[in-house]
Parts: sequence; C-alpha cells; structure tokens
Amino acid sequence: MRVDTGNALMTAATTIELPFGMPSVSDARSDERALVIAAQKGSSEAFAQLVRVHQRRAYAVCRAIVLTHEDAEDAVQEGFLHAYRALDRFLPDQPFGAWLYRIMANASLDLVRRRKVRDADELPDTVPMPFRDPGESDELRRRLSHALTKLTERQRSVIVLHDVEGFTHGEIGGMLGIPEGTARSDLHHARAALRRILKDVRSDL
Amino acid sequence: MTDFRLISNDDDEVARGLRSLYAAPAGDGYWNELEARIMARVADVELGWWTELDRWVRPALAAAAVLLMAAGVAMFRAHEVEGDIAAENMLSSPAVPVSTAIRPALQDDREARIRFLFGR
Repeated sequence: MRVDTGNALMTAATTIELPFGMPSVSDARSDERALVIAAQKGSSEAFAQLVRVHQRRAYAVCRAIVLTHEDAEDAVQEGFLHAYRALDRFLPDQPFGAWLYRIMANASLDLVRRRKVRDADELPDTVPMPFRDPGESDELRRRLSHALTKLTERQRSVIVLHDVEGFTHGEIGGMLGIPEGTARSDLHHARAALRRILKDVRSDL
Repeated sequence: MTDFRLISNDDDEVARGLRSLYAAPAGDGYWNELEARIMARVADVELGWWTELDRWVRPALAAAAVLLMAAGVAMFRAHEVEGDIAAENMLSSPAVPVSTAIRPALQDDREARIRFLFGR
C-alpha cells in the first residue's frame, strides 16, 4: 500500500476535525497553512496540532534512517524542536510536510553520525527489531532484519521510505539530499540484494 | 518453513515483510505521550533565558543606535553653541576698554580686538 502526500493531508484534516465531513485535499492544505501561520505567531496549541498531524509519519521517516525505535523517538523530538526554532523561516505557501520530513531526515542522519562517532564498534549482526511485535513470526523478522544489515545505510533508508512509507523517489531524494535517480537506483539495488539474500537463506534451510 | 512463504522473489512480499518489521507503534496512548514529550521540550525552549534575550536583542540594538545618534547630535549642537557664544563674546565690545587703557596709542576698537586675539 502506498501512502501519498495527499492521503497524509487527508488524515491531517481529519485529525483537525473539520466541521463538515471529509474535506478535500485543498481544504486540508489551507487548514494546515492556517495552523502554520498561527504557530508562527506563537500559538503553541497550533504547533501541537501540527505535531499531532505529522508525528506518525515523522517517526516513520526517522525509523527508516536510524537503527532503533529509541533512536527514532529521539530523532523525532529533535526534528520537531528544529522545526519549531526554524518556523519563522518557513514560507506557509510551501508544503509543510515536505519541509518537516526533510528536517526529520536531517535530524536522523545527524543522530546516525553521532552514534557512529561514539561507538566505533562494528555494526550489530541484525538491525534491532521494533519494540512492538507486529504479529509476524519472529523467525521471518529475524531473517529479514539480518538481510537488511547487508544493505548500505542509504539503500536501507530508501527501500523503507519507498516500500513501507510510500514516499516517491523525488521525495526520498529531497529528504536524503541525493538526486532522484540515485534514490531510484538505490531502491533497485536494495530490492535485488534483499531478494538474493532471502533466496540464499531459503536454500540453506 | 511457513515463515518464508511470506518472502518470495516478489517485491511486494519483501515490502510486506519490511512493513511488518518497521511497523510504527499503533496505540493512541503512545502517540499522545510522544506529543506531550515533544511539547514539553518546545516549552523548555520557549522558557529558556536565551530566547527571552534573543527577543530583546533587536529592540535593544535599535534603541542603542537611536540613543547614540541622539547623543552625537546633542554633543555636536552643544559644541556649536559653545563656539558661537565664544565668538560672540570675543567680538562684542568689552564693558571695560582694557586694551585702550593699556595701549592708548591704538587706533580703534577693532584693531585692539584683533591685537588682543592674536596676542593671546
């Protein structure tokens, strides 16, 4: 399932609880614009609304880049703080989500860099599991998380952002600071690598 | 093994596995708590003394610049007035014609003033 920006904004508008049923995307955008302007004028309630609307997707962006759920939480909080401090410089006519997720991606990349400097140890054998059991078997998740360690960090981020979160190649490129074509090629290589690794694992059994 | 039926060469199935692995917390309680933590940190930023300082930096700089300009203008004007008064005092006729008393040979008051000025 692919979640596009439009859907995200529809969700946003629903969360804002507009009075007359399901709003159009443009209604959602104008509501979000109003929230941004109010937040820029100092309304913390408006900023809280923006947090409420965007935190799940912000978490997903961060989770795709960092290794653990805890780091994703830290990156989300840092990202929102950066966004709050930079809010005056944001032009309300621009899409807020794209701006925010770029900040989230930067906060996550900073965290990854800091972690690398701090623990110069080798990468763990497996990508740490999310803290919540989503209902799939532990064995499957273990194998998949092991396969993910064979990808480069960027490939892993790209495939998660694309296949799990539904971001487009262009959006991913914008977030990670790489050209769209590179995001496309990373995705292709990541998929091929995962297919190969998982196939090898199966044949070993 | 049953688990691996979910992962095949098909990209969609890999994506399904990834979604399962990267699933975000689902409970509203978790998100409410995260939002509260974020807003608490935002409130800390708002209350920080540096923010207050930052808020006052521009007005303070503007006020300082205005004060500096006013002081400069006032000093200039004061200096100008002082000069005018000094010149006026020098050019106005003295109450007691001291120079005439000392040097009676001087031709007129004007000459006496000039001599007085250059003689100081």
